[in-house]
Amino acid sequence: MTKKRTGVFVCHCGNNIAATVDVKKVAEAMSNEENVVASEDYVYMCSDPGQNAVLQSIKDNKLDSVVISCCSPNLHEKTFRDNAKRAGLNSFTCEIANIREQCAWVHKDKAVATEKAIKISRSAVRRAGRDQALEPIAVPVTRKVLVIGGGIAGIQAALDIANAGLKVILVEKLATIGGHMLQLSETFPTLDCSQCILSPKMVDVSRHENIELMTYSEVQEVNGSVGNFQVKIKQKPSYVDPELCKICDDCAAVCPVVVPNEHDLGLTARRAIHIPFAQAIPASYTLDENACLGLNPVRCGKCKDACDVGAINYDMLPKTVTEEVGAIVVATGYDLYAQEHMNELGGGQIDDVLDGLQFERLCSASGATKGHVLRPSDRTVPKDVVFIQCVGSRDPANHCAYCSKICCMYTAKHASLYKHHVPDGRAYVFYIDIRSGGKGYEEFVQRIMEEDEAIYLRGRVSKLYRKDGKVRVLGTDTLTGQNVEIDADMVVLALAMEPSKGTADIAKTLKIGRDKDGFLAEAHPKLKPVESVTAGIFLAGCAQGPKDIPETVSQASAAAAKVIGLLSQPTLSHAPTVAKVRNSHCTGCEMCVTACPYNAISLENGKALVNEVLCEGCGSCSATCVRSAIEVKNTTGLQIQEMIEACLA
Amino acid sequence: MINLQDMRDTARNMLAKNEVRGVIGYRRSTNGMLAEPVVITKPEQADELIWDPTCFHNLSLYLVEDRKFLAHTRAKADLPIAIIAKGCDARSTVVLMQENYFERKDVYIIGVSCEGTGVLDERKLVKKGIRATNSAFDGDDFVFTTEQGEQRIPAREVMADRCLECRECFPKEHNIVLGEDKTGRQLDAPFTALKRFEELDPAARWEFWDHQFERCIRCFACRSVCPMCYCDECIVDSTSFPVTGQTTADEKANRVKWIERSATRAENMTYHMTRVLHLAGRCIDCNECERVCPVNIPLRLLNNKMEREAREQFGYEPGASIGGPSLTASFLDTDPGKFIR
Repeated sequence: MTKKRTGVFVCHCGNNIAATVDVKKVAEAMSNEENVVASEDYVYMCSDPGQNAVLQSIKDNKLDSVVISCCSPNLHEKTFRDNAKRAGLNSFTCEIANIREQCAWVHKDKAVATEKAIKISRSAVRRAGRDQALEPIAVPVTRKVLVIGGGIAGIQAALDIANAGLKVILVEKLATIGGHMLQLSETFPTLDCSQCILSPKMVDVSRHENIELMTYSEVQEVNGSVGNFQVKIKQKPSYVDPELCKICDDCAAVCPVVVPNEHDLGLTARRAIHIPFAQAIPASYTLDENACLGLNPVRCGKCKDACDVGAINYDMLPKTVTEEVGAIVVATGYDLYAQEHMNELGGGQIDDVLDGLQFERLCSASGATKGHVLRPSDRTVPKDVVFIQCVGSRDPANHCAYCSKICCMYTAKHASLYKHHVPDGRAYVFYIDIRSGGKGYEEFVQRIMEEDEAIYLRGRVSKLYRKDGKVRVLGTDTLTGQNVEIDADMVVLALAMEPSKGTADIAKTLKIGRDKDGFLAEAHPKLKPVESVTAGIFLAGCAQGPKDIPETVSQASAAAAKVIGLLSQPTLSHAPTVAKVRNSHCTGCEMCVTACPYNAISLENGKALVNEVLCEGCGSCSATCVRSAIEVKNTTGLQIQEMIEACLA
Repeated sequence: MINLQDMRDTARNMLAKNEVRGVIGYRRSTNGMLAEPVVITKPEQADELIWDPTCFHNLSLYLVEDRKFLAHTRAKADLPIAIIAKGCDARSTVVLMQENYFERKDVYIIGVSCEGTGVLDERKLVKKGIRATNSAFDGDDFVFTTEQGEQRIPAREVMADRCLECRECFPKEHNIVLGEDKTGRQLDAPFTALKRFEELDPAARWEFWDHQFERCIRCFACRSVCPMCYCDECIVDSTSFPVTGQTTADEKANRVKWIERSATRAENMTYHMTRVLHLAGRCIDCNECERVCPVNIPLRLLNNKMEREAREQFGYEPGASIGGPSLTASFLDTDPGKFIR
């Protein structure tokens, strides 16, 4: 073993560690270890006096390496490494022994936990014994940002970043930006018109000199790492030149193909050549190639003939561009949980049973009925409307375990909108609880109950079926203990929110994690709510979890602030704990090349070569190599062996 | 049936036309009946080549030895080397190329289809007390020429275990091939021996391996005969640490000793377990390790176990394609382990 002067500092973490681990005993045991010249304990090592004690000890005892026995390195490795650096040490000679998450919190028996804490600390001392002094690698930064998703989250993030002077590429899967917010009629709790507040922002995006808008596009491939991502974006052909298109509607008037309109969730129809809605950005028609008879003048070609300005071009090809960006914001949004999953509520097969977004389109002035609430089956004014909350949400046995968070509020809004449209109608709301936390939210719900006289029934609906031209709703009112039967003209289901289709694919493309429900995972639920687990990739909006518009906008701005902060530095520093190849042992079998999740290894002259900027030090290569020819700096085979020995001793 | 004359003519022609440096094949050993590996480099040696059921060696080992020799002598080889390869040998050659040990153009594969004949198991012959001068296969039985005359023995009784369970006796990867693409006779379904062993309860199996590893003398014959064990420094044997001009003092001082050299049960077990894991997705069941083991440790059970796991969990067949992903370095979205997705 090499001769070192190591200091061990054991943290009580208040009672978090000290309640289960005899910290004094750990500190005492460490003082007898080889190489250890100082061993102390303190109640909060991360506090200012705690850090100062470490600093003082480094100076007094001329330490060349430090072990802090405390919480997970995820939390305070950086804190203590920065502190070691302040004392003049190389920050990579500071090691963390995790005796909180991996010991104190998971054990009850104090004697056993203490023994384990000693072993964990001892192994960290051994590791520190062979730590090399390493210098961070400086990486240049590309001052350009990719925002994925053109809903309110993506729009807000793009505008904030662009306003700070950074270039932004905004990629949207559909032919227009706007997202689900543009489908909404009014927004709670102020009931201001959704389109009126969103459209100006959309126009800002299209006119902003720092924003390059790519609609009808998808991100295909992402390589590189924080500061320098290479992204490949594929743009589908719209077959209409937006520069020439005058939005005159002559083409749609002659198009013979009629398909359901997605923007109105199938409540209306559109032509194969269409503009998603009047305020679409970019303001241009799009030819849906799946619906079109064949993009061929021989087959049809009516739209091309009708277009005076010659904006339609059947020969347009998909375009793939490769861009360099420094950071990525993912705002891919949500979809409603499909009605088809709700068998007990008709599974989408019963007429006049709508989902929340369809009801929004019924209420919207630009919607299917031009703002008149009419039931879809016979276009009569519904007099009894039943709203059902928590459809698919809060049902771990059959559907989604989580609360979709916004349904209480938007159901109240729906009831209110309905009553404003049909003052003599009756609105029934089935609920489990009313969750109305938020500024002005509770008052809003109370107003709907009291002033708009919506009838709130606490209970669930067991069955829906069609009877005598109405929808028979069977439910219970648990407050009176009575069964309830309502013959409704229309039923609106507040379906759960789920991650948008394609979230899994984008997560895979970006190499970021998802949580158990499929939403994109944040790096830390409290301290890093807008960061993904991969550095340089940030999250905004419902892709990360259900949230309402104000919260989405806040998160988008927060993500933008993080991006601006990140890219305001001239260079980024990259951890030097990267893989290193022992050329004498490498046979060039290429297994590490395929195993590397970051494409950081290539084969040069028959030997593996590590691109240190791309390497994240994950160790996949080292685990794959049967020849021990590649190892991660400061986690070498020898260090691992000595750590194991220290634990077994 | 394989025409031996075709094999000899092929070898002779290629050597005469200077198309290959040499041909790795089989010749009759001094023992009499059994074949032994040979490298011929002159056209007139072609008549030494033989083909019969005693050609059990996996000759791809000599492709590795050839590479090592070239590297050691810093010689340059402009011509490829030819190898007589059975279905199994061709698969191990593919794995070596998959791992970039040499390129496809460096080797000329003269594929030989076993056509379901299979090869003999030396030990089974010894047990039966057969002392013959020649062996052949007549379609059902092995026929041995002994001093007493001809002796017929049913294939099942003397065939090598791996041939009983053979699933691909035709060398898919080849430059030319002798014999037809017949599916193996497959007397037993794949992994039959393993399945039989796994019927034992865990305690009995533990006792079995405890006993087997107790007996290992760490002669490393298994490692020496294995074409996949081509590393210069084996992780289990620190004495073979190659000290070259580039080896730094730091590397010498810091070499990791995961396993001690002493032939004790625990160390032996670690050695064999490590070897099995390092062969996962690479072993193609040529079973040379078990054949050369002087104390008859049934190593095939261990390697078969890994092979079956790879096949059942990931649909992975070692030696299937040169360009395909390797088992331990690739990742599937359909990975059965939920934790990793």
